[in-house]
Amino acid sequence: MDNLVEVVSIISAALAVGFGAIGPALAEGRAVAAAMEAIARQPEAAGTLSRTLFVGLAMIETTAIYALVVALLVLFANPFV
Amino acid sequence: MDNPLITEPLFHIGPVPIAEPVLVNWALMAVLGLGSALLTRRLSRTPSTAQTVAELFVSTIDGQISDTMNRDPAPYRGLIGSIFLFVLVANWSSLIPGIEPPTAHLETDAALALIVFVATVLYGIKNKGLRGYLATFAEPSWVMIPLNIVEQITRTFSLIVRLFGNVMSGVFVIGIVLSLAGLFLPIPLMALDLLTGAVQAYIFAVLATVFIGSAVGEGHAAPSMQKDPSHG
Amino acid sequence: MTIDWWTLGLQTVNALVLIWLLGRYLFGPVSAIIAERRAAAQADLDKAAAELEAARAAHSAAEATRDDVARQRADMLAAAQTEADAERTRLLAAAADEAAETRARTQSQIAQMQQTARAEISAEAAKLAANIARKALARLPDDILVAPFADGLTDAIAALPELARDRIGQDGPVTLRTARALTAAEETLIRQALSRALGRDIALTLLADASLIAGLELDAPTATVRNHLAADLTRIEAELAAHD
Repeated sequence: MDNLVEVVSIISAALAVGFGAIGPALAEGRAVAAAMEAIARQPEAAGTLSRTLFVGLAMIETTAIYALVVALLVLFANPFV
Repeated sequence: MDNPLITEPLFHIGPVPIAEPVLVNWALMAVLGLGSALLTRRLSRTPSTAQTVAELFVSTIDGQISDTMNRDPAPYRGLIGSIFLFVLVANWSSLIPGIEPPTAHLETDAALALIVFVATVLYGIKNKGLRGYLATFAEPSWVMIPLNIVEQITRTFSLIVRLFGNVMSGVFVIGIVLSLAGLFLPIPLMALDLLTGAVQAYIFAVLATVFIGSAVGEGHAAPSMQKDPSHG
Repeated sequence: MTIDWWTLGLQTVNALVLIWLLGRYLFGPVSAIIAERRAAAQADLDKAAAELEAARAAHSAAEATRDDVARQRADMLAAAQTEADAERTRLLAAAADEAAETRARTQSQIAQMQQTARAEISAEAAKLAANIARKALARLPDDILVAPFADGLTDAIAALPELARDRIGQDGPVTLRTARALTAAEETLIRQALSRALGRDIALTLLADASLIAGLELDAPTATVRNHLAADLTRIEAELAAHD
């Protein structure tokens, strides 16, 4: 296995994306649930709520994107290959 | 598979390397500029359909800005609206075969985020003065100064990476699926890509508005703007 | 991770140019037309409000004019009414005056006529009374027709002023009229009475006159002394007539 570094890089990239997606997935689920509850309780505030929700989701999603970028870096810009 | 992190120059004009995003950007500029000029060449008080759409677009952006900033949207309308329109069109340009969206390359996103960053600083200085703007970094106390500076940089960086990651991953996934399956399979992914592109354009614009709004401070309520809660 | 700085710079310039382009050609004109339409709508609203105001003002002016005309008409009616009332009052007063005047004139005429009639009746009655008295006195006995009146004649002569008494009988004979022809005794009695009254004798012309009814009358040129019933009746008659 002379290309051990590549194997480890691929595995770590997959792990990074996979685990990195868990947190944002849970967080987004909670955020959407809270937003739904708020909208159900106060439908007239749906505009403000959904705008805030989108911005918040984008913020949360950024974490997953970071994980993806790290994975991409590991895959395509690996300094050890 | 191409490395999505590397932008290869297509050709050189003198010493300047011209990459594909730059070319696509020029094309988009030409299309948007000519379209706008054609659209607004004959504005009338009894609007045509296109003019109605444009007015709806502009007033929606105005409403979003004034909702977010509690300010008269006139000074920020051009910047925010242009960023939104450009990101949207750039994201959706992946529909054209053979065209890779410019936002799928780090340089375009970095350019946009850089413009937002500079605009944030400029609007803050313009509204509060240099001393007043710098004083906002010491809020709520001087201990927060390093954190605030770091926040300025990291949020710009996250702006770059968010847009880049979303668009690039979409392009990437579609490329992978296309290389695997071929004909009809990428269509749902492309639809998702359209949705993601629109949402990302909206988020980019909203975040830019939030950054600028926090830089210029709490505004007085703009009296002429009506609330428009149906968009979002 | 590599960043192509050339591409970054180009894209920045491109984005800036695009922002300028869109601001110049899309957002500026569109927001301008929106503001223009809003201003036009506001102007239309203002104009409509102003026109409404003007219409209201014109309406109220017309109402004021109508009220004015109505008031003028009412004033004219009232004035005409007042004038008519005044005229009617004046006419009534004039008619009443005229009627009152006519009535007064008529009353005065009636009174005058009544007075005249009464005077005439009185005169008539006096005349009638005198005639009745004459007729009644004509039945007096002859012996008392002359003699009892001699004393009265001498009293009347004595009552005359002295100058007039002296003149009696100086210019010729004096006519002595009697109710009937005197007897001789009576003639001497009367002559004596006259001489006593005058202090001298005077020439007498005796004349019988039945119209005297009873009594004597001495007719001198300067004085007439009457003492007979006819003269009394005439005097009573005159007094009766003058009394009314």
